[in-house]
Amino acid sequence: MAITEQTPLELTTGEDRTSSAGDPMGVFARPRANTGWRSWVNTVDHKKIGIMYGVASFFFFLVAGVEALMIRTQLAVPGSQLLSADLYNQVFTMHGVTMVFMVVMPLAAAFANYLLPLQIGARDVSFPRMNALSLWIWLSGAIFFNTSWFLGGGADGGWFNYAPNASVTFSPGFGIDFYAIGLIIMGIGSTVSAVNLTVTVLNMRAPGMTLMKMPVFTWMMFITQVLLVFALPVITVALLLLSFDRIFDAAFFDASKGGDPFLWQHLFWIFGHPEVYIMVLPAFGIVSEVIPVFSRKPIFGYPFMVGSGIAIGFMGWGVWAHHMFASGMGQMSILAFSLATLFIAVPTGVKVLNWLATMYGGRLRFNTAMLFSVALVGMFTIGGLSGVSHAFAPADTQQTDTYYIVAHFHYVLFGGALLGLFSGMYFWWPKVFGHFLGERLGKWHFWLTLIGFNLTFGPQHILGLQGMMRRTYTYFDDQGFSTWNLVSTIGSYIIAISVLVFMWNMGASYRKHRRERVDPGPDPWDARSLEWMVPSPTPEHNFDETPVVEEFDEFWHRKYGHDENGRLVRIAKTSDVAQTGQNANVHLPSPSYWPLVIAISMPLIGYGLIFNLWWAVPGAILLIAGCYGWVMEPSTDPAGGHHHDDHDPEAGPPDAAVAELAKGEDLETGMSNGTDDGGPESSTTEEAPVG
Amino acid sequence: MRNKRSATIWTGIALVVVLFFGWLLVRDIGLPGGRALTTLSPQGPKAQEIQNLIIPVFLVAGLVFVLVQVGLVWLVVRFRRHKDDRDGVDEPEQVHGNTKLEIGWTIVPAAVLAVLAVFNVQTTLAMDNADDPLEITVIGNQWWWEYRYDLEGDGVVDIITANDAAIPVGRDIVFKIQSNDVIHSFWIPALAGKMDAVPGRTHQRVMRADEPGIYQGQCTEYCGLSHGVMRMQVTAYEPDDYDTWIEAMTTAPAQPDPDDELAIAGQELFVTQCSFCHQVNGLDPNSSAPFEYSDLPDPDYGASIDIPLASGNAPNMTHFMMRPYMVGGLLPAYEGLSRGGGGDQRTVAEPIPSGTPEENNLKQWLREPESIKPMNPDNNQGMPNYNLTEEQIEQLTAYLLTLK
Repeated sequence: MAITEQTPLELTTGEDRTSSAGDPMGVFARPRANTGWRSWVNTVDHKKIGIMYGVASFFFFLVAGVEALMIRTQLAVPGSQLLSADLYNQVFTMHGVTMVFMVVMPLAAAFANYLLPLQIGARDVSFPRMNALSLWIWLSGAIFFNTSWFLGGGADGGWFNYAPNASVTFSPGFGIDFYAIGLIIMGIGSTVSAVNLTVTVLNMRAPGMTLMKMPVFTWMMFITQVLLVFALPVITVALLLLSFDRIFDAAFFDASKGGDPFLWQHLFWIFGHPEVYIMVLPAFGIVSEVIPVFSRKPIFGYPFMVGSGIAIGFMGWGVWAHHMFASGMGQMSILAFSLATLFIAVPTGVKVLNWLATMYGGRLRFNTAMLFSVALVGMFTIGGLSGVSHAFAPADTQQTDTYYIVAHFHYVLFGGALLGLFSGMYFWWPKVFGHFLGERLGKWHFWLTLIGFNLTFGPQHILGLQGMMRRTYTYFDDQGFSTWNLVSTIGSYIIAISVLVFMWNMGASYRKHRRERVDPGPDPWDARSLEWMVPSPTPEHNFDETPVVEEFDEFWHRKYGHDENGRLVRIAKTSDVAQTGQNANVHLPSPSYWPLVIAISMPLIGYGLIFNLWWAVPGAILLIAGCYGWVMEPSTDPAGGHHHDDHDPEAGPPDAAVAELAKGEDLETGMSNGTDDGGPESSTTEEAPVG
Repeated sequence: MRNKRSATIWTGIALVVVLFFGWLLVRDIGLPGGRALTTLSPQGPKAQEIQNLIIPVFLVAGLVFVLVQVGLVWLVVRFRRHKDDRDGVDEPEQVHGNTKLEIGWTIVPAAVLAVLAVFNVQTTLAMDNADDPLEITVIGNQWWWEYRYDLEGDGVVDIITANDAAIPVGRDIVFKIQSNDVIHSFWIPALAGKMDAVPGRTHQRVMRADEPGIYQGQCTEYCGLSHGVMRMQVTAYEPDDYDTWIEAMTTAPAQPDPDDELAIAGQELFVTQCSFCHQVNGLDPNSSAPFEYSDLPDPDYGASIDIPLASGNAPNMTHFMMRPYMVGGLLPAYEGLSRGGGGDQRTVAEPIPSGTPEENNLKQWLREPESIKPMNPDNNQGMPNYNLTEEQIEQLTAYLLTLK
């Protein structure tokens, strides 16, 4: 018979399931804690998972920040002996890899996890346990990767890790093994998460929310996830080949044995360039939410914002080899990629102009969230323009691998991604934590960040054009690079201070909240999208009842209408259209510790591959046990206490809901399955096909 | 009008600031300014073509840069909310978009880029054009460059030297770029763009120097430990001087004076210690006195000697003192030269150096090579410290100074 969630391992003996309900293997109890640390490690709640993504990536932000300070301190003066060349090479590699894979991507994932279900009016993601699995696998991979510091030294091949410099011959330490296996592990987490969120956006939208009524943030995140689904397998393949080369003495990238170093370059950049958009599109989404709210105008040219995002995502696949203009790949390839790269500037420019047009004529309110967003528009533009200048292939042969490139991508990734993510933090903080981040310290944070950032990376444009190469552990006083390097280093310390101010702000805001308990209310900014309908912080069940969406910016249109002159008119008080969070009758997916078990198995296997294959055995056993336990565990705890799910009063009696399920039209299946009254036929759950 | 006056003032300030930053970026155009590696001061036609392409790009990008930044400041000041604005009353017009505008700002940038793209294509295709070129093979090694000259084009390698390539002024040079170990990138910014040296492949970069002088370069593909100090240079000579250089390089140096005991002992030491990696044309670890040099290098020295190096090769020392710099361009071989890689060194070089050798640099290198350049000899990358005695260092130095 079919394995269903009600009868996960139905034995022919006719064993009474109720006696061991929820303990499918009859060994472990299903976790049920609602508070304390257990409620976090077992959770499948997209909001808690989002918060944990945020906390963990902020920790790695500090790690990578310290590495950045080490780099800048070394380069503050010519001929510095502070770090050895060997250590310096590890530090810049670890800084880059950490910032990309352990800061910007997971920080964006934090926003995606927390906000996507809310913005589309859903109770959770499609596959809640898989969501937890993504987090824990990513985190175990990230920790695994960073333990290399204590086990012989970090990776030293640069984040791009070109073959054959990454081979055992030229990098005999374990650093690059940690790089390869760590990124494979993290990639598993990101792939699972990307599939999950893609399906969530496609399947879980509230009634009436067509694709073209989704908030721009949801759109950009959706594009990001689709890019991830296709990009991550490529880097995973490349990393597997690299691992085979290093661990099992294969020769995929070894020219002397018939391999080809170019294979790595192409594989890496086919992933690596979409990766750039994976990192920056979420920030574009955040800015596209923040600017309209604080301009009190709708986003200008919504279909063009969405369209340009799609265009960037699509064209992003045809430009990877612009990282290889000096690689010697041949003129026709160079021309094709050079021209494609030039024209990807067009949709990016459309975005910038639409943000400016959104601000035009508005009533701009400059709190910290808005300041960070406006700064992104300016700073990202600089990164975009320098990007255009090396889309010209001959010019790039002068610029590539100089500090001009370092400046360029920091303007894109810091000036783009990070400023946007900071903006999002100030914007959604009250929604997530129920209190504001302080505005006064926030402005200090903003101005120190903006000044420090420009002091650090602005001069690097000049240094690069003056010929200073990247990835150099030193330079000499007679090369003429000294002044701007010192300025750059001073800037980096100002950034460090700004991060301290931000941390102080987080602490001070929390303490103030503890003291004063001021409720920001559901909608502190008079905002536009559905997440502002629910109380702050968001209740565990998100929506008391699923909103029925009629327009883009649905929540705004419930508050405001237009008079005959097209002027904005308040039609409802926020308190009348917002939800109270009081509906206790919502059924939620049950917590599970299997995601954590599976995640812990991965680094064990990783250490085994690096040091001694026998060490992988406990990891493999844990992995198999974890998968088995997961499969046998109902996605919803049968003993977890059930209520009839009445979140959708229109849905009619349970039988009608079941009938709808069978037709596969109910977008809410993930939330409504597993109820007492659902027969076995309703068990087409979101988890079943995953196993 | 709200904020109009302050918007004008702030826009003006922003314009000045933004123009100043733009000027900082490009003020080096045409000026070496004491920076040997600057990309903005081309000295040959290929680099000049790149410059001719990038200047209009910088102009267009600079215009957009100024418009966006200044426009942003204007928007910020002009449309900022007043304290007494009331939500729900003092609200802006709800504009949702403007299709004509959107199409306009899609097409206009695309058109501008399309025009620039034409020049892009032209310049890209022109990069490989060469007229009656001289071919020089460049081989990247961790962390130094080898040059090989096949003067007659008959497949016989006539000259093998390191770090300093001599070229004649006014002639197109095709550098055939290869690598013995990892990927490096060959880059002489004053003459041309960079080109990666990839193991198993031969790439080419065309360049020409219009004036005699020393043109500095730097490896620009991360290649491990000492990537940051992996230098190279190209020295352009007037044709007569170039011929002099070729003549000297294709003639074996004189054997050390038999009365020079230090040099004689040094030669013995070189053969027993150094020749396992370093070639002096005609010598190898099996040679015995009396030693004889050969005019031609053995291009397969690495293969026949089984050099314990990951790259399988070490610099050819036959005409060591013909090179103005040693240790991958890091140290001057002669007094009076500034340290390698630094400063604006587009001075005319002598085809045969006549200065006083900088012996101390050589001795320091022999004594503690790792103090000058980070290396990893335990992993066959770079020169080990042989813990030579001061006497041995004196002997080796005396011998190496005879190699000219």
